[in-house]
Amino acid sequence: MNETTTSTEPTTDTTGTRATASWRQRGSSWLIKGNLLIVFVAICVIASLLSPDFLTTRNLANLLQQSSLTGIIAVGMTLVILTSGIDLAVGSVAALSGMIVAILLDIALPIPIAILAALAVGAGVGLLMGAVSAWMRLPAFIVTLAGLTAVRGWAYTLTDGRPAGSDLPEAFTIIGGGYLGILPLTGLIFIGVTIITALILRYTTFGEYIYAVGSNEEAARLSGVPVNWIKASVFGFSGLTAAIAGVLLTSRLTIGQPTAFQGAELDAIAAVVLGGTNLFGGRGGVGGTFIAVLLLSVLKNLFNLLGIGSFVQMIATGLILVLALILNKILDSRAMAAAG
Amino acid sequence: MTSDTATPVLRMRGIRKTFPGTVALASVDLDVHRGEVHCLLGENGAGKSTLMKILAGSYIPNGGTIEIDGEKVHFARPLDGIDAGIAVIYQELDLFPDLTVAQNLFLGHAPSSGGVIHRRARNRLAQSYLDRVGATFSPDARVGELPIADQQLTAIARALTTDAKIIVMDEPTATLGEADVENVHRVIRRLVDENRAVIYISHRLDEVRDVGTRITVLRDGTNAARYDVKDTDSERWIADMIGDKKKELTEHRERREITGAPVLDIDHVRIAGMLDVEGITVRAGEIVGLAGLGGAGRTTLLSSVFGARSADKRIRVEGEPVRIRSVRDAISHRFGLVPESRKSQGLMLGLSVARNAGLAAIRGAGAFMPRERQQRRTTPILKDLAVKYASASQEIRLLSGGNQQKVVLAKWLARDTRILLLDEPTRGLDIGAKADLYRQVRRLADQGAAVLVASSELNELMANADRIIVLHEGRSVGEFDPFTDTEEQISHAIISGKAA
Repeated sequence: MNETTTSTEPTTDTTGTRATASWRQRGSSWLIKGNLLIVFVAICVIASLLSPDFLTTRNLANLLQQSSLTGIIAVGMTLVILTSGIDLAVGSVAALSGMIVAILLDIALPIPIAILAALAVGAGVGLLMGAVSAWMRLPAFIVTLAGLTAVRGWAYTLTDGRPAGSDLPEAFTIIGGGYLGILPLTGLIFIGVTIITALILRYTTFGEYIYAVGSNEEAARLSGVPVNWIKASVFGFSGLTAAIAGVLLTSRLTIGQPTAFQGAELDAIAAVVLGGTNLFGGRGGVGGTFIAVLLLSVLKNLFNLLGIGSFVQMIATGLILVLALILNKILDSRAMAAAG
Repeated sequence: MTSDTATPVLRMRGIRKTFPGTVALASVDLDVHRGEVHCLLGENGAGKSTLMKILAGSYIPNGGTIEIDGEKVHFARPLDGIDAGIAVIYQELDLFPDLTVAQNLFLGHAPSSGGVIHRRARNRLAQSYLDRVGATFSPDARVGELPIADQQLTAIARALTTDAKIIVMDEPTATLGEADVENVHRVIRRLVDENRAVIYISHRLDEVRDVGTRITVLRDGTNAARYDVKDTDSERWIADMIGDKKKELTEHRERREITGAPVLDIDHVRIAGMLDVEGITVRAGEIVGLAGLGGAGRTTLLSSVFGARSADKRIRVEGEPVRIRSVRDAISHRFGLVPESRKSQGLMLGLSVARNAGLAAIRGAGAFMPRERQQRRTTPILKDLAVKYASASQEIRLLSGGNQQKVVLAKWLARDTRILLLDEPTRGLDIGAKADLYRQVRRLADQGAAVLVASSELNELMANADRIIVLHEGRSVGEFDPFTDTEEQISHAIISGKAA
């Protein structure tokens, strides 16, 4: 980079270099973004070659179904990580909301009210943790770790640890278990949540502030961005998406399980990071998260089709996660060198 | 006690250090003898800190030689300086606040056998060093919990544990009260009595008079003078620090009549023990410069006015008193700050030009389509400021420093800012980019903005400000007119805190 010494000429005098630079930039950013997609497609091709069952509509529908709950949680997690935060409590919040919706339906509250109440609790718990972390200047890691334990405990105390929802109405259970044509409803909801969140990130001031806070909190503060509100809100959003996943699971299982979603936070974080969102904030988006969630499910599916045991699966998944990140890092630094 | 005929403990010859675009040290000599307090004087940017960083081994010089006790040495890393018997006590103390005093004193060289540290022996030893610097706190005390003066003593005691023969102190008393200053001076006298050499950097000339033996004055990366403290007076020191300033920059300027009404009135801004500034007025169309040494309070003043830092203050905008309790308050009163550190406070390096430039403007303009609004809003402003960039979606880190700084400026223009606070806006920019930036600032003032600009570079303020206010140790010590007052007069006030 050389310092511009004479900046009096208009900016349009360098059309040639400008076109090259932006072409190179676009090329490199396509490589980074496309990288994950290429790996995804490659694994799908391998899977379909290895197993004729892979490309059946039934299998693909199952895949989407299996991805959707973790995926919805991961979408909320993406926003938190974009602000350079982390939310460890999502699994517990999902379980709590799943319990609440079941209990409220048990006492015969109307379905929409029961669902809204469960979602409100999830969002509220998230917002509270985010607010404590932002205004008290406590690390989100610790606040949400406390939330992970406390909220799980809360979910248990509701029924003294027993499942809730003895006779859930069919109109409710259809949401989690139903299909629209060949597509599972939960999968559609996952896609819907992803699209809405992508639109929020791209087209709202809130979304813009999320990137600003994650990219440089101090610069954002000095530009008048309500940093604490943004930080609290993304945790509220993450609580909301966790609650959606919780309600959907209760609907699918036709019962509220206080033990549900153990370790879901780790699956969600893995998907977000694999999807290219920077753990230090400011870079990434839900598109990458969406593909990463599917990628992880496809891998699992592939292993199952090949008859690989679940213990070996765990090892392989871990290794693939690290390898993907290393590959991303290499491509990223190459792209930066090319652009800079 | 000392004489030039004895071999100096430290002999630096022709030390040269260049950074891309600037020469920090052209050629500097420094002789320091055992048993003397050798004071380094110079204005901001004269090269004192660079010279000491070379001595510590943190910078590698581009030329010149260093001899310790007559033997040539080559420092390639910080440990080499320590091994050669040099200890540097930096202004921002590099202590570990969460460790105890004893742990800090012996980090890396604690009494131990087989990797196991002898805690008792360490505490006993620590106690003996603390006694030598006249410290009364326990070696078990946690450094972060000690008052700043005691931390200073800890840093000095640590320098002794490596048995340093040359101890460099960079502004050790800048943050201390009078009684603590006296104690530090007592310790310094004891060190030279033990036949060590102390290199002392301070802006407080009365302290130099009080504790110093000999003085080397640096100016623009070269030696300006060298003499004994007792043979000279501080007027002479100041004259040598300032030198013969070139006048061509200001001579070509035409005074512009400032007819605008006062926009910003800072009736007072106070922070106990740090800042006490009163009566600064900036009119529409006016550029007021804030001059002062590092730590004189320029940054503190600007960030307090901007609401980024709490202070007792009374501020009026266009005559009306305003309450500014947060950055958002300040922004809604049409203030904008270009902060001191472009990279850590001004920019979001990973985001695009348009998003950086548009960040402040999207507030209150609706909840949707921020990027489109940003681009629409900022494109003409960026063009107006002649920012060079490939496309609005280009990442800002790919721009040159001058263009980056213009984007920070654009951020406020996009928000229709009336009062611009600029803190070291040209830091790290080359001459062309500096001139360009000031040209843009001038244009903004001509369009009715009120500008308050802090700079360490007096010649910049001489060339661009309509008035210059000098801060010294948190107080405003005088107001100068760059058209009638000379750079010497203003430099004098900056250094001495007194209008000549």
